[in-house]
Amino acid sequence: MKAALLLAAIGLLPVLAGLAGTIAPALDPAVWPELAATPGLSRSIALSLGTGLSSALLSLALAHGLLAALASRPALGFARALALPLIAMPHLALAIGVALVLAPSGLIVRLLSPWLTGFEQPPDWATIQDPLGLALVAGLVLKETPFLLLALTAALAQVPAERLLLQTRTLGYGRLRGWLVAVAPALQKQIRLPFAAVVVFGIGNVDVALALGPTTPPPLAILIWEWFLDPDLTRAPLAAAGSMLLVALCTAVLALCALGARAGGVWLRASAASGWRAERDRGARGALLGLGGLCALLGLFALLALWLRSIAPAWRFPQVWPMAPGLAAWREGSALLGAALPTTALLGTVSVLLALLLCVAAAESLRARPRARARLAALLFAPLLVPQLSFLYGLQVLLVRLRLDASWLAVVWSHLVYVLPYVFGFVAAARAAIEPRYRDVALTLGASPVRAFTAVTLPMLGRPLLLAAALGFAVSVALYLPTLFAGAGRFATLATEAAATVAAGNLRAAAVAAAVMATLPLAALSAALVAGNALHRHRRGMPS
Amino acid sequence: MHSELDPLTRRRLLQGALALGSLTAIGDAVATAREATGRAAARLDWNAILRESRGQSVYFNAWAGDEAVNRFIGWTAAEVRRRFGITLTHVRVNDPAEAVTRIVAERRAGRLRDGSMDLLWINGENFAALRAADLLYGPWADDVPHAALLDRERNPTIVRDFTIPTEGYELAWGNSRFTFFYDSARVARPPTDPPSLLEWIRANPGRFTYPQPPQFHGTSFLKQILLAMHTDREPFARPAAADFAALSAPLWAWLDAAHPALWRAGRAFPASGPAQRRLLGDGEVDWAMGFNSAEASRAIASGEFPASIRSLRFRAGALSNSHFVAIPFNARARAGAMVVANFLISPEAQARKADERYWGDATVLALERLTPADRALFASLRMGPATLPPTGPVLDEPHPSWMIALEREWARRYRGG
Repeated sequence: MKAALLLAAIGLLPVLAGLAGTIAPALDPAVWPELAATPGLSRSIALSLGTGLSSALLSLALAHGLLAALASRPALGFARALALPLIAMPHLALAIGVALVLAPSGLIVRLLSPWLTGFEQPPDWATIQDPLGLALVAGLVLKETPFLLLALTAALAQVPAERLLLQTRTLGYGRLRGWLVAVAPALQKQIRLPFAAVVVFGIGNVDVALALGPTTPPPLAILIWEWFLDPDLTRAPLAAAGSMLLVALCTAVLALCALGARAGGVWLRASAASGWRAERDRGARGALLGLGGLCALLGLFALLALWLRSIAPAWRFPQVWPMAPGLAAWREGSALLGAALPTTALLGTVSVLLALLLCVAAAESLRARPRARARLAALLFAPLLVPQLSFLYGLQVLLVRLRLDASWLAVVWSHLVYVLPYVFGFVAAARAAIEPRYRDVALTLGASPVRAFTAVTLPMLGRPLLLAAALGFAVSVALYLPTLFAGAGRFATLATEAAATVAAGNLRAAAVAAAVMATLPLAALSAALVAGNALHRHRRGMPS
Repeated sequence: MHSELDPLTRRRLLQGALALGSLTAIGDAVATAREATGRAAARLDWNAILRESRGQSVYFNAWAGDEAVNRFIGWTAAEVRRRFGITLTHVRVNDPAEAVTRIVAERRAGRLRDGSMDLLWINGENFAALRAADLLYGPWADDVPHAALLDRERNPTIVRDFTIPTEGYELAWGNSRFTFFYDSARVARPPTDPPSLLEWIRANPGRFTYPQPPQFHGTSFLKQILLAMHTDREPFARPAAADFAALSAPLWAWLDAAHPALWRAGRAFPASGPAQRRLLGDGEVDWAMGFNSAEASRAIASGEFPASIRSLRFRAGALSNSHFVAIPFNARARAGAMVVANFLISPEAQARKADERYWGDATVLALERLTPADRALFASLRMGPATLPPTGPVLDEPHPSWMIALEREWARRYRGG
């Protein structure tokens, strides 16, 4: 119980303190008219809401559709395997890669030029940073669909999906329709929190909008981020007020989503009674799989484009393969990578180790208390429902006051806020799934509780712990805003370097940082899978 | 000093301080700065400073948007470690303004000593803002040994930064002239004034753009166009006031006419000067801009630009300024920062900086004051095909308030969509 309280305190304190610190300057009544007078504010808000909500809904529909089309088929394993690298790829790196693919001088147009398009020069098309934010939506969908797909497959454990689907099939329903009527509502209840996090990230993100979003005007989060970094002292309260506006918008949208889910349920029940079965949905399923494949392909292309750009001193249009590829950018970047890479790796490792320690202890103490476990998981998840920008500024001011800014303690703690919910979710579920009688048997055989834990429980937790570590590591590597604010700009990680260089428009340097940043979590993930297999090699019968 | 600042800037700073609720902190900060000023005013004992600096860690907040510049700072770090035992860390910033934000945050938090930054790369409105709030240590910059070599006569911008007197609170380490880069294969007769540039833009839709203000290359472009449109540039040395609308009207008319024919029809802009350089390199546009023509020669040498890229400056003159290093009032390693600053304007560092294989930034030194051996370092420098000599007419930077007013008005007109 103590471990659980400690965990909750570590996860929530920075957010609460930070929010308080941001609210204070936002209370200045003079600042709100100034906020309202920002050029294009209403368009910025509309953009944030539009891109955030539409990307979240599209990702959700695509994830459900893919799962419906693939459920209880071997291809599902393949789809999950494809989803993992996309999940592990940091938002920022993926967004930079997508920009390199979709831009008018990007990989796609190059592949088709000049033989098909006739372009000797890139066309003047707004395929990224378009005024409506379509590229931004595409980037977000690419990143969030795999995440939701994984959340849904995890939730399958709680829902007898196969049985339900079989029943609807016997009743003559098509796969998609049967899924929508019988399985989706139950599954959706299980992934309410991850979905809410996707909505909030979509509305409040800086990472993806920086590379793919429009700039005249930009989404609200970018405006706030600029105000926080503005030399004009009068902008700080403006940024704080903007943050509060962002929190209000996110809250309103989440409330709307809850209402929408209810209305959707009512509509589903009514439509189920209509008896429409949509037996023939081959075409629709094909389209969904095609769309999923397109996402995977775009992700692969993005990674490829990052590597190409990073080795290309010159990449004149319409060459697909850069002229004189070489490691010049890497040499240029080696000084920065030399510092940023170890910092990133160390930060990720320390955060993950601390997270594992805390989460294993809490999971152990709550192993037989499912309600407390669910409540703690929800509490730890709460920070993901608050836009990062809205509390990080207040947190920074607090850290400066405590002289903790730019300290390892502050940065690791800010990372833990984001690493803990994922690690705890993973570890607690795995711990609860272990049959309690294994431990009981060990105790009856005379083992001490400590020995029972180390000899029986821990090995059985091995694989989930390794995956949780890889996931937590990926989360830590990806964190940009928390590192920037808690690290006082002095903690150079791959994420801060990639963001600084992409914001400065130096795509080649950004590509170097992003390529390494995208590869690091993939390496961690592969290592976890290999280590998991090694762990089980001499424990064939061990459940996992 | 304060009387030099326009009421607008002062009001804004005061407002900011009030909004942040920390008048007492300002009082304290001012007291500390005054105390520091008193100490620094007694002429520097350079040997004592060298002794004190040994072993110090100097955090240098510097714009990191250009890899050549980053490499130069990396070289500097290696040199000062070798020569003076100073550990120089390049804190990479996107926008020099970020440093101002941090100093203000530190002052707000009452951190009057042991600040997080020791040396800042700044000029213009950031210097004006920090100076007005008394957040810089000094005066020191006129007293470091190499300051005697500065070419104050031919480069008045060394002592008047965007019209604000530097008064020893910052040390110039480079001179910049606003330069356009264009593809000579596609621009047959290079335009050299705003009307002919507009004509070219409208004849070649989608092939011209400029970095989005308030990024400094973008704002500088606005200032370059604005100043080139006026023959009487006297009003721009004064703070922007009631005459702003009338004086800036020709600029907005020019932009209104140009925007529909810009890249992306003026609905999107590159994020920065380097971002636009990539667009030129990739062939998306035919123009880019920067503060230094050697940048284009370097890009040709690295293959980033096609060989047909050339540089040009407006006939009326190039917007010109100096860039500086300054020490925050609460710097931890003042001695180390001064030693690094002095090294940055040493003949050796300046010659390397002027060498376009490394950077190609014009020197601030008066060459006739150097020893023959040091002068030879500069004589052997080669110029690439797109490099222009650092001569020709110059346009002085307007008062910093113009920059802020132009950025605000640009955002009001074009950013809201």
